[in-house]
Amino acid sequence: MNVGRGTILVVEDEPEIRRFLRSSLGAEGYRVVESATGRRGAIDAGSHKPDLAIIDLGLPDMDGVEIIRRIREWSSMPILVLSARTHERSKIEALDAGADDYVTKPFGIGELFARVRAAMRHRVRPMQGGMQVRLGNTLVDLEARRAIRDGTEVRLTAIELKLLGCLARHLGMVVTHRTLLAEVWGPGHASDTHYLRIYMKQLREKLEDDPARPTHILTETGIGYRMVADD
Amino acid sequence: MSATRQWIGYAWAAGASTACTLAGFAMAPRFDLVNIAMVYLLAVVVIALRFTRGAAVFTSVASVALFDFLFVPPQGTFTVDDVQYLLTFAIMLAVAVVISGLTRNVREQARAQAVLEVEAETERIRSVLLASISHDLRTPLAVMSGASSSLAERGELLGEKERRELARSLYEQSRDMGERVAKVLQMTRLETGAMSLDRDWVSLPELAATVLDRLAERLAGHRAMVEWPADLPLVHVDAVLLEQVLANLLDNAARHTASGTVVRLRAQVRDADIVVSVEDFGHGIPEADVERVFAKFHHAGTAPGGMGLGLSIARSIVRLHHGEAWAERIPGGGTAFRFTLPRETAPAMPAEPPEAPR
Repeated sequence: MNVGRGTILVVEDEPEIRRFLRSSLGAEGYRVVESATGRRGAIDAGSHKPDLAIIDLGLPDMDGVEIIRRIREWSSMPILVLSARTHERSKIEALDAGADDYVTKPFGIGELFARVRAAMRHRVRPMQGGMQVRLGNTLVDLEARRAIRDGTEVRLTAIELKLLGCLARHLGMVVTHRTLLAEVWGPGHASDTHYLRIYMKQLREKLEDDPARPTHILTETGIGYRMVADD
Repeated sequence: MSATRQWIGYAWAAGASTACTLAGFAMAPRFDLVNIAMVYLLAVVVIALRFTRGAAVFTSVASVALFDFLFVPPQGTFTVDDVQYLLTFAIMLAVAVVISGLTRNVREQARAQAVLEVEAETERIRSVLLASISHDLRTPLAVMSGASSSLAERGELLGEKERRELARSLYEQSRDMGERVAKVLQMTRLETGAMSLDRDWVSLPELAATVLDRLAERLAGHRAMVEWPADLPLVHVDAVLLEQVLANLLDNAARHTASGTVVRLRAQVRDADIVVSVEDFGHGIPEADVERVFAKFHHAGTAPGGMGLGLSIARSIVRLHHGEAWAERIPGGGTAFRFTLPRETAPAMPAEPPEAPR
């Protein structure tokens, strides 16, 4: 066992879910701090200085989004939220409030670990300028502002590059429509989702092996997009 | 009764009294005063039947006043010469009160009856629903409690392989059950009208890719194909709900057809709408069932699992989007599940040069 991968704060009122998270995360070598209430969680986030926080959005004593806001006032620690299916609104609110990613209940442990690892990596190695991302047979070089696919250069537009940059800065993590639109087209276009539909289609046609079944630029229905790179 | 409706009653009462008065003037030269009184009585009866007691009493008072003032000599005064007109007034008032009272009783009974009928129907639906739900949830629950108790109590006696198998079936059944519970909740939400659409511009091929990815396991045995026309526009829909429509239709096709067969997802652009189809090439469904498959808890004879809610949910969601969903037999074998979505034009997007400057 590789002890010492970091401390994870779990803010969750259901004891059974806490127990399952404690044993699974513990087995992976993480130290787990548990808080059963939102109030306690906000305090524990300050006193234990965890490397990552997992926060349930359905806490009885406090809105999960409120805890995220409080933590974001002083810390940029990665935050994952747990949320019930069909609550897209609350997920988006949490993400807009500063959460980095979400996992929908009920979830498999594989999915949770993938999210934890992506968020931890993001913390350790925030996106530097000269970043390259490998997406299957395509290498995107954000500093050189170009992509090479199977040895041939792919022409990218300025907006496509901005979109790729924004997704790559949150590699492995979801980026909301609002964030993408505001960052690329400006805050006045935050609800023009049709721009994204058109540009993501273009990007997939340029970069994905099978644009009809993308494996690197993924759609999170109702929420946003996620870029998954090959290591 | 609403205030508006009350005022309408009084307006009708005033109108009826006026109409009777006009009729009375027309009748006066040739008819007896008693006959004119009868016309007023008719107005009282009609108002009492249609409106409130207040309106009926108002009609009788207005009628007697008008009758007395305009027709009973000496005209132009309220002097009641003859005691018989006092009787007329008393009778009119009595008629107004009795008839409006009777009408109110009948109305209340009818209303109570309607409430009872709705309650009985709701109760019937609820019990069918509960029976069906509990049956469909009990099976996976039995598997889960069996598998988990084996692991908890006899874990050390089992081989590594058996332990893994039990754990896997526990996981699969619980996931399946989660899906079923979600469907029941969704159906309830759709039926109570508690669902609001969160519309967004959505690309059907993009949404389909996500769904095919999500259903990869279930569709693994089938050959899934997509066919999109080049001019397919974006649709203005609730992406999460539409994803569910596609997922339910694809899941349905995968469940009811043999593995190795093709499941095809395609769209056709028409003048006013877009037709999206999920076509399978199984045995097809009997003509008599093309409508019945959309009923709640409908189970096709051969199908394993499922709650019989998927198609019903899909149709409800499509209708929320002002579309229609139906099934068709494909000549030569197979079934097409189709639905329409209104065709709309997304706002224009600023163009940009094909390549970024370096």
